[in-house]
Amino acid sequence: MSDPGLSHHTPGHHTLGHPGLAAAPVDVDALTLMLGDHVLLDRATLRLERGEVLAITGGAGSGKTALLGALAGQPVPGVDVAGTAGVDGRRLLIAQGGRLAPRRPLALQVAEVVGHHLGVDLRAALRRVADGLDRMGVPPAARRFDLPPEQLPDSLRWACLFAMAIAIGPALLLADAPCAGLDPTVRLRLLHRLADWARAEGTALILAGRPEDGLAGPADRALSLRRGRLVPSGPDGEPQRDAEPAPPGHPLEVPGTVRLRAHGVGVSYPLAPAPNGERRQLTVLHAVDLDLRNGETLALLGETGSAKATLVRALLCLPPPTTGLVAWMGRDLTAAATTTSGSDDPDPAGLRRARRDLQPLFPDPAASLDPAMTVGAQFAIVLESLRPDIAADRRAHRIAEALEEAGLRAETAARWPTALTAAEAAHVGLARALLSEPRVLIGDEPAATLSADERAGFLDTLLAARDRRHLSLILATERMEEGLRDAHRGLVLLMGRVVESADAATLRTAPLHPYSRAMLAAARGDRPDLAGDAPSALNQPAGCPLRRRCPKARPFCAQAMPPLEEVAPGHRVACHYWDMPDNGDA
Amino acid sequence: MAGIDPQPLSHQALPPTPRPGFARGLSGAAVLAALALASAAAPLMADGATIRRIDADPVVAALLDGRGSLSFALLAGVLGGVIGVGWAVAANLLAGLVGDRVERRMMRGATRLAGLPLALLVPLAGGLSGSVGLLALATAFAAAPAVATLAHAELDALMRAEFLTAARAAGLPEHEVLRRHLIPNALRPLLAAGMLALPRALAAESFASLLGLGLPPALGSWGASVGLAARLGDPLALAPPALLLALALWAACAIADAGVAGPASRIGKP
Repeated sequence: MSDPGLSHHTPGHHTLGHPGLAAAPVDVDALTLMLGDHVLLDRATLRLERGEVLAITGGAGSGKTALLGALAGQPVPGVDVAGTAGVDGRRLLIAQGGRLAPRRPLALQVAEVVGHHLGVDLRAALRRVADGLDRMGVPPAARRFDLPPEQLPDSLRWACLFAMAIAIGPALLLADAPCAGLDPTVRLRLLHRLADWARAEGTALILAGRPEDGLAGPADRALSLRRGRLVPSGPDGEPQRDAEPAPPGHPLEVPGTVRLRAHGVGVSYPLAPAPNGERRQLTVLHAVDLDLRNGETLALLGETGSAKATLVRALLCLPPPTTGLVAWMGRDLTAAATTTSGSDDPDPAGLRRARRDLQPLFPDPAASLDPAMTVGAQFAIVLESLRPDIAADRRAHRIAEALEEAGLRAETAARWPTALTAAEAAHVGLARALLSEPRVLIGDEPAATLSADERAGFLDTLLAARDRRHLSLILATERMEEGLRDAHRGLVLLMGRVVESADAATLRTAPLHPYSRAMLAAARGDRPDLAGDAPSALNQPAGCPLRRRCPKARPFCAQAMPPLEEVAPGHRVACHYWDMPDNGDA
Repeated sequence: MAGIDPQPLSHQALPPTPRPGFARGLSGAAVLAALALASAAAPLMADGATIRRIDADPVVAALLDGRGSLSFALLAGVLGGVIGVGWAVAANLLAGLVGDRVERRMMRGATRLAGLPLALLVPLAGGLSGSVGLLALATAFAAAPAVATLAHAELDALMRAEFLTAARAAGLPEHEVLRRHLIPNALRPLLAAGMLALPRALAAESFASLLGLGLPPALGSWGASVGLAARLGDPLALAPPALLLALALWAACAIADAGVAGPASRIGKP
């Protein structure tokens, strides 16, 4: 995957495709956008040179889409535009979500747009798109563009949209929330390639998205849209603050004894029998070992399909894992959970005691609340089940305490779940988990539905509760930096296997597995050193599941799955060639 | 402690906008109630003594017919709804007791039946026997498979809901999960699915009566009146029952749609 000789742009540089364009394709002066009485953008001034890549970040409803619409000459209905937004040359907007007609062949849709802009016929347009796909690094074997978009992976759809933009070669390319929803490593790879193309061809590129999308990484300059102003933002996409919020002022406590132990935990699902009647199953989690000490915070890191959610569910025995065992304080939970589902509670106290100590945080907190009951009513059921020692007339008091500990007002108990915002629902989910005064919280992306500011607020509340109650914490996340910031230890999961485990500081500074390194690079906005997309769980390559994407891959990787080996005290890596340089001449 | 600011949480809170289907459902319910009341009161309008249909005002005659059509639709619709919902619930229960294969077979059967023109059974039953009971049973059976597929889909989605997992994480045994969480949340979608049978029953009966193979003439039916008027070539007699039938069908469909869509939210509900 060597890049074609990409050069950084110099102002005034002319490319063959666009002779005679002015030096600054974008010159915005005192642009004001109003939505009714609400000012989305207040007299913004912006100048973009050719070949410059700009990232504009902002939370939900901050007016990014309206700004891009104004720049593209397609104002969003209902938004009043004042001031000048001068754009010199052809402009192209890739709309939010990259939506295409779901049922028409992708090639046809893309070629039509190219043909419309350039006035060429379908065949010439397709040829230009194919050149663009080369630029985006899509191998020819992956180009199944006679299929409709709904049957193609999202990453391919985005690559195709970017290739369409490359084929058209506009003076200004605007991308609204590009690659949103893709895994960080895939998203950053595509965005870096697009930015490289823009710099080489002298196209002004504006990427707009949420602060947590990592758009600032590929960009030359990052602006943040806050309260109607465009302000320069820091390296991580957050607006610059005078005092950088220091990493936890107090040193993390040294963990105590092992409390939760998982040994050889595996989960597999039955599939429909093969044509010859053979039973088949899909193994999504392969014999994972895990220890959680008293007061320890463990980060489970992995992208889509890494089975981190499955592992979290297996640890909670919801449902119990198909192989292996999970033990809480020496008591085997898997056995207790499997027997209860069959007969009528042979050991209700034992499992209930464990459930009281191990509480989950759900990825979609709003969906984890019963819509037919007020928050208080369902909390009362939880208390009745897990804390029979709290008398019925004391329950309301305990519920109010838990809500306040989670940063909500006590009156939230009287509200209905559907009336809660996403952030409130996340805090309510935390309050429910704290209700039974647990010892361990096990969270599966509990802040996934929140935007950047809300995320930070939620994680602060969660960590405050952890420190106050000396909780152990397991947090599954795909954001490497965020997950490791407050953790003692991290486990990197890939396709249901642990590929690296080390203490958090090591993982943050010097991870050894190529997958961990790519995830870390993506979290920092750098170019991840992985090619292509993750393989489907139903069609995994033999040997190491990463080998088709890996820069260190050698023929032997196809023959054996690397075992998890200790390379330094407390640092284990599953890679045959972790100590070898990348192959190829890159 | 890092608390939440009082107001500026996530997105600007939008005023709760009820879904458009809900308002339509309310107006449908109002229209249907008005039709039922008018039909019930029709004998009073027909000058007391005679309620024979030939010499009556065509509107009053159509309203008189409404008694037969609406009460039969109610009977067959309730029957069909109960059969359909029972079918789906039975499939889900058997899945827990026997295995997924039984459930899949039962629901595949329902899906296939829903694709057949079962409404043709109704005139067949009417022509062969003429008894109202058998006709109601045939109408109910014609409506049930569609109800069963919808009810099963709703139940399936509900069984996978995350709040059930949350309840299990709180240590609730299965029967408590069922009683406290599953049943209260299943009632509305199941009721909505059952509602689908009402417009289907009304349409099937009117179709059979239009052919002259439906309800016995003594009961009166919009379909029969439309058919009779068409044969006699009497537009004045044709218009009122046809319009009332169309209105009743629209109202019944609107109620069923609103039930499936559900109210927008429970904001402000006690």
